[in-house]
Amino acid sequence: MKRIILGLCRALIPLALIVMLSSGTISAAGKLNIVCTTTDLASIAKAIAGEEAQVTSITTGMEDPHFIQAKPSYMIHARDADLWVRVGMGLEVGWEPPLIDGSRNAAIRPGSSGHLDASEKVLRLEVPTTRITRAMGDVHPEGNPHYWLDPLNGRIVAGEIAKRLIKLDPARAQAYQKNLESFRNHLDDAMFGSMLTHRLGGARLWAWQVKGDLERRLTELGMLKDAGGWWAAMRPFKGQGIITFHKSWIYFSNRFGLKVLDELEPKPGVPPSGPHLKKIVGLIETNHVKLILQEPFYPVKAASLLASQTKAKVVVIANSVGGDPLAKDYISLINLIVSRTSKALR
Amino acid sequence: MKRFICTLAACAIALALAPWPAAAGQDAQGKIIEELRKEIQELRGEMNSQRQSYENKMGDMQRKLDALSRRVEVNKPSGEEELSAALAKQKGGGTVSAEGSSVAAAIQSMNPQASVILDTIYYNDDTDDGFSEMSHKMAGFGHSHGGDDEDEHHHGLKKGFNLRHVELAFSAEVDPYFKGYANVAVTEDNAEIHEAYIDTSALPWGFKLRAGKFFSNFSRINSQHTHDWDFVDAPLIYTLTLGDHRLLDKGAQLSWLAPTPFHLLFGVEALQGDNEMMFNYLGGDNLPEKNGPRLWVGWLKYSPNLFGGHGLEIGPYFARGVHQEAHDGNSDGTEDHWLNGHSQFYGVDVVYKYDSGKAYGEGDLTLQADYFRRAKDLSVEQHDLAPALIGKDRTATQDGYYVQGVYGFLPRWRAGLRWEQVGLTNKDTFPDGTSADYDASWRLTGMVDFTPSHFSRLRLQSAYGSYAMDGGEDQEAWQVWLQLMVSLGTHGAHKF
Repeated sequence: MKRIILGLCRALIPLALIVMLSSGTISAAGKLNIVCTTTDLASIAKAIAGEEAQVTSITTGMEDPHFIQAKPSYMIHARDADLWVRVGMGLEVGWEPPLIDGSRNAAIRPGSSGHLDASEKVLRLEVPTTRITRAMGDVHPEGNPHYWLDPLNGRIVAGEIAKRLIKLDPARAQAYQKNLESFRNHLDDAMFGSMLTHRLGGARLWAWQVKGDLERRLTELGMLKDAGGWWAAMRPFKGQGIITFHKSWIYFSNRFGLKVLDELEPKPGVPPSGPHLKKIVGLIETNHVKLILQEPFYPVKAASLLASQTKAKVVVIANSVGGDPLAKDYISLINLIVSRTSKALR
Repeated sequence: MKRFICTLAACAIALALAPWPAAAGQDAQGKIIEELRKEIQELRGEMNSQRQSYENKMGDMQRKLDALSRRVEVNKPSGEEELSAALAKQKGGGTVSAEGSSVAAAIQSMNPQASVILDTIYYNDDTDDGFSEMSHKMAGFGHSHGGDDEDEHHHGLKKGFNLRHVELAFSAEVDPYFKGYANVAVTEDNAEIHEAYIDTSALPWGFKLRAGKFFSNFSRINSQHTHDWDFVDAPLIYTLTLGDHRLLDKGAQLSWLAPTPFHLLFGVEALQGDNEMMFNYLGGDNLPEKNGPRLWVGWLKYSPNLFGGHGLEIGPYFARGVHQEAHDGNSDGTEDHWLNGHSQFYGVDVVYKYDSGKAYGEGDLTLQADYFRRAKDLSVEQHDLAPALIGKDRTATQDGYYVQGVYGFLPRWRAGLRWEQVGLTNKDTFPDGTSADYDASWRLTGMVDFTPSHFSRLRLQSAYGSYAMDGGEDQEAWQVWLQLMVSLGTHGAHKF
C-alpha cells in the first residue's frame, strides 16, 4: 500500500506543479483575455478595451459564420478567456456549445459574468411572431442574427461590452468609458458627418433617425446640406429595391432605407433553384432593381446568371471585418459596404 | 509640390510634342509619354494619400473641438438619454421586439433539449447468409464466448429494409455543477439505454468527471454516434473486435485539459468490463470471480494550432481488461473448458479536417485514419477433457486499419472513399503449443451523400471486399446501402 501511495505522489507532484505554474502565468499577465466569436465583435471589443486586454476572434471574417468547424484549438482560446462574447440569436448554435464545453472554463458559460451575448440589447428584426417550423428553412426563433450590419446595433453592442468590462475590471472603468465615448464619436461622425454631430451630438441624431424624423428635423433646422457620412451617401437611394443572396442584409437595408425584395435562397439555408430564380428575374424587371448583394462565401453562379439576364449588377461584399482587406475594423467595414452599394445603386 | 509642378510642365511639353511625331523617334516618344503618365499617376496617388491624412488630422482636431464644446453644453438634455428612450419605444412597437420573445425563450430553455434521430436503411449484399453472419467466420476473428446470448445484441443489417433504431436524446444543465445526457435507442422489439451519463461542469484546473453509461472516448469511431459517422457502418476492425456497439459500458471517466498552448486532453476510464466480445466476463464455478471495474481505458488527444480552416487531431489510446471465455471443445452442447486472462488493445487515430469557409459545406474535406491492434492473453483455467492443459497459455492477436476521406464536391453534396484492411498480423497460439497464422482481408467502400438541410441526409454507399475465411479460402462480397436519416428537435452542435 505504501508503495502505491508513494508512486501516486511521484506521479501527481509534477502534474500539480504544471497546473500551478500555468495558472500562475495566466493571472500574472494581468491583461483581460477577451474571446469573441466573430471579427466584428472583436473589432468593437478592441476599440473599447484598448491596450488593457487581449482580444481574439474565432472566425476570420472570410467564412460563413453559421457553420464553423469546432476545432480543438478554438477550445484553447475559450479555456484562456476571461470574457466570451457571442453574436447570439442562434448564429453560433452549431459550433459554440462544444467550444465552451470543451474549454472546461466555467467562467464563460452562458449565464455567467464572463459570457456576454451581444444581442441582448440590440434592435432585432424578423423575430417570428407566429409558429415556425423547419419547413421554413433556417429560421431563427430569436430573430434574424445578422444585426451587426446596422451601425446603430454596433453602437449598442459597444455599450454592452463596455458595461461588462467595467463589471469585470472596475479598476479600469474610466479607460473603458473613455474608449466607448471615442468609439461612439467615430461611429457617429462616420454615420452623419462631423458637421452634424458637432452641432447636434451623435446620440441625438441617432434618436431622431430611430424615430424616423431625422430628415424632417434637419430640414427644419436648415442643416440638411451639412449632413455627411453614410447617411448622406445612402440618402439618394432611399426606397430602392435590392436582391440579396441570404437574409443577411436586412439590418443594413433597414437602417439605410433600402428594400430587400427577395433573396436568391428560396428559404434561408436552401441554395437557389431554377424556378425561384425565374421569379426573381421578373421581380428585378418590374422593380428596376439595380443591385444583387451577396457575401464572398456564397456561390456567385446564380447571381451572375441573373445579372446576365437583367440590368442588375452583382456586388460581392464581405459582411464581416476581415472578409475584405479594406474591412480592417468595424467602421471601415460599414464604410466599405456603403461605398460599394451606393456606387452600384447610382 | 514643386516636383509635382515640374513634372506637370514636363508632361505638358511632352504632350504638346506628341501630335507631331518624327517618324524615327515615334517609339521612343511613346515610351517617354508612357513613363510620364505613370509618374503623374503615382503623384496623384501620393497627393490623394496626403490629402487623406490631412483630412484625418482635421477630423481628429474637429473631434477634439467637439469634445470641448460638448463639455460646455452641460445644461442640454443628454443625447444618449434621448436615444435610449427612442430605442425603448421602438422595441415596444411590436414589429421589432426583443423582450417578448426573450421571455418565451427563457421559459423554453428550462426544458431539457430533446431530439429524435430516425435512421432507415435499405441494405443488400451478395453473400448467402448475409454479411454480418459471414463476418463472424472471418479468419482469426472467431469469437467464441460462452453465453447463450450471442444473438441478443445483434444489430447487423438484414437484407432489405431496416430501421436501424430510433434514438431519443435528452440533455440539460442540471444545476451549476452538473450536466446530464440520456440517449435511449428504441428498436422495433425493445428499447435499450445507449448512453446515460452525468458530466461535471465546474471542476477547476481543466478537469471533468463523467459517470454513468457512455461510449468510451478512445477514438473518433468509438465516441461518435452512428448518425455522426461519414459512412453508414463502422470500419470492419471495430465491429469484428468490439461488436456492433463498440466500447459502450458503465463506469467513470476522468479527463484533463492540460494548460498547454495547444489542445492536449488526457482521459482515463474505469469501466465495468461488460463488452461481450473483447472484455467478456463470466465468473462463476469454473472461472474466478472479479469485481468491477474490470476494464481500464486511457487516451490522449493532441491537436496543434493550425491556421485558417485546417484542423488536426491525433489520438493514441490503450485499454486493458479482464477477459474470460467458456468453450465447448467437442461440440456436445456442454461447455468443457474455460479460459481466463486479459485482453488489451491499443492504436492511434488521426483526423484532419479542412473547413473551406464556403456555404453549404462545399470544398470541406475530412481525412481520417485509425490503426487498431488487439491482444488476448489467456490461460486455461479448467479443462474437463484434457486436464493436462490446465495452466497452459492461449493467446491471440488481431489488427486492422482504415483510411477514409470525404469531400464536399458541390454545395450540400459529399463523396467519400474508405479503404480498410483487417487481419494483417492475426495469429492464434493454442494451449497444446500449436499456433496458426491467417491471411488479411480488405474492403473498399464508396459513398455519396446529399444533405438537404442540417436535419436530414440521404446517403448511397457501396462496398466491395475480399475476406479471408476460417477455412483458409477467400470470399468476395458486394454490399450496398441506401440510407435516409433525419433529426427532429433541437439543433445539435457538431463536434470536431
